[in-house]
Amino acid sequence: MARPVSRADDNNGKRRVIEIEGLNFRYPGASRDAIRDLSLRVPAGALFGLLGPNGSGKTTLISILTGLLPAASGTVRIDGHSLPGQLHDIHAFSALVPQDYAFYPRLSVMENLRFFAGVLALPAGVRAARVQDALSVAGLADFRNARAAQLSGGLKRRLNLAIGLLNRPRLLFLDEPTVGIDPQSRRFILDAIKHIAAEGTTVVYTSHYMEEVEMLCDEIGVLDDGRLLARGTLQQLLGGGNGQGLAVTLAEVPTPAQHAALSALPGLVLDGVELKVTPTDGAGLNRVLALLAAQGVAVRRMKYGYGNLEELFLHLTGRQLRD
Amino acid sequence: MPVLSLIAKEWKLLLRDWHALLLLFVMPAVFILVMSLALQDRFAAHQSVSVHYYLVNQDSGAVDAALLERLAAMREFTRLDSDAPAAELIERVKQDRAQFVVRIPKGFGAAMLGEKPQAIEMLAGPSVEPALYQLFAAALRDAISRVYLQQKLAPLAAMPGATPPNMDAATGLLHDQSLFEIGGQNKRPSAVQQNVPAWLLFAMFFIAIPLSTTWVQERQQGTYARLRSIGLGAGALLTGKLVPYLGVNLLQVVLMLLVGVYVVPWFGGASLNLGHAPLALALMALAASFAAVAYALLIANLVSTGEQAMIFTGVANLLMAALGGIMVPRFLMPPTMQAVSAYSPMGWGLEGFLDVFLRQGGIAMTAPELGLLFGFGTACLLLAGWCFGLRNSK
Repeated sequence: MARPVSRADDNNGKRRVIEIEGLNFRYPGASRDAIRDLSLRVPAGALFGLLGPNGSGKTTLISILTGLLPAASGTVRIDGHSLPGQLHDIHAFSALVPQDYAFYPRLSVMENLRFFAGVLALPAGVRAARVQDALSVAGLADFRNARAAQLSGGLKRRLNLAIGLLNRPRLLFLDEPTVGIDPQSRRFILDAIKHIAAEGTTVVYTSHYMEEVEMLCDEIGVLDDGRLLARGTLQQLLGGGNGQGLAVTLAEVPTPAQHAALSALPGLVLDGVELKVTPTDGAGLNRVLALLAAQGVAVRRMKYGYGNLEELFLHLTGRQLRD
Repeated sequence: MPVLSLIAKEWKLLLRDWHALLLLFVMPAVFILVMSLALQDRFAAHQSVSVHYYLVNQDSGAVDAALLERLAAMREFTRLDSDAPAAELIERVKQDRAQFVVRIPKGFGAAMLGEKPQAIEMLAGPSVEPALYQLFAAALRDAISRVYLQQKLAPLAAMPGATPPNMDAATGLLHDQSLFEIGGQNKRPSAVQQNVPAWLLFAMFFIAIPLSTTWVQERQQGTYARLRSIGLGAGALLTGKLVPYLGVNLLQVVLMLLVGVYVVPWFGGASLNLGHAPLALALMALAASFAAVAYALLIANLVSTGEQAMIFTGVANLLMAALGGIMVPRFLMPPTMQAVSAYSPMGWGLEGFLDVFLRQGGIAMTAPELGLLFGFGTACLLLAGWCFGLRNSK
């Protein structure tokens, strides 16, 4: 059911920050691969959403890209640096915000930020400024002296994000950064991510919340069962050219003459008043509509493409995104 | 430097962990105080045996007077005076208000040399240890034998020209000395000399609990993943734990030695003698700390949960302590158990400290224990690094 991802038009010639080719990974003792023959390119400056249900391989992929897990086969290049050989160079310009609250609950917000600034070996001259910037972007200035353990879930997420900003990364991996928080904090974090991306940082953002991905991301990859099922802009993914085609409910059953004329349409399936065709792009869609009009076929209802990513996922996998 | 940040962070975390501080500092201090005071002088070669007994003398005459004189000469045994009847005194001994009752029956002296002598009765209280029982019985038997011989030889002594026998002449034929005695000083461990290093080592190895639970938390919370994604490897992460906890262990050493030197005497116990080899003592402290922290790092990398760390550390440490002479001093163990105890790192540490405190040893005397502890620590550290790599490759 799933279609292979088209690679010919990847990124419209933009510089690619992430290039993955034929990646496979299997956890020790597992019976099947967690990542299967995955190829992906992410252009510089993109806010790239990796959408998939829990267990689809999002965190595994992020872990491979950040050097936490070794790839079994395939090639990975991050801004021209290959993994795992040049991991040290990659660490210098990238950052990971893990799904977990990856900081110390017994330390205060400020102590956590200072600690991570210390282990990042930031120059002493810029360390304080970076900590202040991170506090400011994450809106944590009023909570600087609070113990991390005492923060609400939303503030903990913000601290998690703030730590990832300390080295001013050119490439930021955000693994489910809004899980389990209130709508207000989610809004704040999403705005902060937009702000970070607007300043030129390439952001790879994993989520199983399709609304967030739809709202936030320039480009989206749909991941399921370790495979990349689809990749493109939201418009490309939801457009009818992506497999779904055009579904038309006619006002009346076409006459034999009308039926004969419509037979020229690509991939025509006509069942009573239900007509389905598969135009590959907008021009093809126009030709279908023009033919229907020319034949005097009245249309009661029509649908082209997908209403949302949930529908796309259902089409690609036969399952709900939240299954 | 990232490692300095890791060390500073670890100190902050530990200072805010009251449970760990209680475990690492209060527990050994309390153990040292309680055990040193409770077992005061029990280990010493010249310990003053405190034995109290009642004497019920139902006889009267020269023989029992001579016997009473002999009993009074045994200074280790204190006779409690009482006019209470024998039945009540026996009742008191049953209640452990004294250890023994000795009853000299009526006519004992007169019948001693006859065909039907009467026996002196010795009754022991319920809590009297077997060794003490034997000791008191032997002392009584010795006193009775001397009086008996004196009476038996009396006719010979009364012959013209005869010399009265000296019943104590044979005493000089035995010279007794503890092997722990050197230069006239008692070198056998006193309670404080045994208990300070013993419980100090016990607490030092318990550092595995706070270290491994913190390590497991960092792993579970994703903090290690974040640190590794920053570029920190096994070396930095292990060093970031090794150094601060080494400091904690050395602080334990200093504080517990101070407890032994100053606090135990304040409560009426003996003061700890630190020996005359500060460098050997410092090296022993460092070796034991290194072994304990490396062992803790190995546990941290072996276990998957905090609960596992607690249980494993608790059981392993109790076993090491039981085998290593922490709970029962090694010199009290039978030879087989002494041989087994040679395999306990806590035992190595204890012997090393006793080399310095008791045997006036220096680096040369402690060298075997230093080697074992540093070797054990190095092996643990290498294994911990290997486990770390193995776990993170998954």
